[in-house]
Amino acid sequence: MNWLSDNVNQLALLGAAAILILTIGVAAKYFKQIKEGKSEGELKEENWDGIGEYKNNSPIGWSLAFIGTIIWGIWYWLVGYPLDAYSQIGEYNEEVKAYQAKFESKWANPTKEDLLGMGEGVFLVQCSPCHGIDGTGIEGKAQDLTRRLLKEEVLDVINRGSAALGNPNGQLGYPMGMMPPGLLSGADAEAVAEYVANGFKGNDKGAELFQSACASCHGPDGRGMNGMAPNLREYDDKIISAVLEHGKRGIIGTMPSFKGRLTPVQVKAVATYIRSLSEGA
Amino acid sequence: MFGWLERNPFFFAVGVFVVIAFAGLIEIVPDFAQQSRPVVTAKPYSLLELAGRQVYIKDSCNACHSQLIRPFKSETDRYGMYSLNGEYAYDRPFLWGSKRTGPDLHRVGNYRTSDWHANHMWDPTSVVPGSIMPAYKHMFTNVTDLETAYAEALTVKKVFNVPYDKDMDGDGKVDVPLGSYEEAKKRAFEYALRVAEETKRQDLVDMVKAGKIPEIVALIAYLNRLK
Repeated sequence: MNWLSDNVNQLALLGAAAILILTIGVAAKYFKQIKEGKSEGELKEENWDGIGEYKNNSPIGWSLAFIGTIIWGIWYWLVGYPLDAYSQIGEYNEEVKAYQAKFESKWANPTKEDLLGMGEGVFLVQCSPCHGIDGTGIEGKAQDLTRRLLKEEVLDVINRGSAALGNPNGQLGYPMGMMPPGLLSGADAEAVAEYVANGFKGNDKGAELFQSACASCHGPDGRGMNGMAPNLREYDDKIISAVLEHGKRGIIGTMPSFKGRLTPVQVKAVATYIRSLSEGA
Repeated sequence: MFGWLERNPFFFAVGVFVVIAFAGLIEIVPDFAQQSRPVVTAKPYSLLELAGRQVYIKDSCNACHSQLIRPFKSETDRYGMYSLNGEYAYDRPFLWGSKRTGPDLHRVGNYRTSDWHANHMWDPTSVVPGSIMPAYKHMFTNVTDLETAYAEALTVKKVFNVPYDKDMDGDGKVDVPLGSYEEAKKRAFEYALRVAEETKRQDLVDMVKAGKIPEIVALIAYLNRLK
């Protein structure tokens, strides 16, 4: 292969030759000047140990550049840098803003498949370290999200009231407010707990007591009357977003608040994904 | 005017230094003076947390875990708000770390709990499948060195004026009490018992009650403090 057929090589060779010729030419010019040149012009009166200086004016181009640099320097010190400095946080804020705008327009009307996919991603990153990658709560270390409530959990809330849940103020942010402790006790509490934990089936006594003691807030069907109180049948969007916002304490332990870490669409997605876990089971 | 400078090389050098340093002065000093202040919420570590921090350093947690969330969307999504300079005001030394074999821990207290840490440090793969983090079972039996932690706290209080025993936010209460070693130790044990109970491990609770704080309890107190 002939390396000269490549035009980049040709250009490089041409450039090298030009540089070589120019270097030789310039060097020869100065050699000639050193050998033959004579100093001309008037000397200044000052001299330093015999070394004098010509009375030449500074070249105009150089003077303009010098003055221009001084003016630019003053501008940069006083205005340019202080008012227009680069900011890493500023760039971050713009990056986030641009991303959010894109995110919101892309997921303005997500389908259920979109939400499931997004929810699974968020769940694996944010939730799975405690709830396990399958959502079963790693052998009781966290809430098993493939089912709603256990009998012990219902009993615990009946006995201790909702002050034992939610953030340290006992709030999950439901309009119905706090549930007082001890609405039922003894065998009555057990019966209701069994009825609720069993998916609102069996235990007629529990069903009856539920209607008289619990239904006024949680609704006759236990679905929380459209977000007035927690839904006891399934993980609806409201309870997921309430727990994510306020955190939760319960018989198992404490879940920290995830306030501000997820966008509303992501919360909806996680709720959809968590519902899909119990539907599949 | 300039002839005088040429005859006095020392003052010429001073002048050159001032001119060159000027840009640095206006770009670095004002920003540094502001950024290096503790942020409003920064508080010194309590005795138990400081002891936990020493465990963190001793077991080289910082070799795999950073404590610096950079201002990028991908980081703040996962770890929370980016880190600020003033948050490290009471870290001596800071533990930014330079390698993330594991995740960043600067705000781990926001999204993990004491029992999770205990489970994880006992057997990491039991909660994080596929984790390459080694188990730290020796922390469940090693006893925390409160004396060294107290010595560190007292030193930074006296030498660097770290605001122990002071009302920092003006609500009339001491924010981070230190006091004498006995007082500090008593508070550390109360704190340790709370953390041990949160881990739901009876062996840890028993150890604290028997007058020995396991290293894991101090470390969890420190990790919970990272917010």
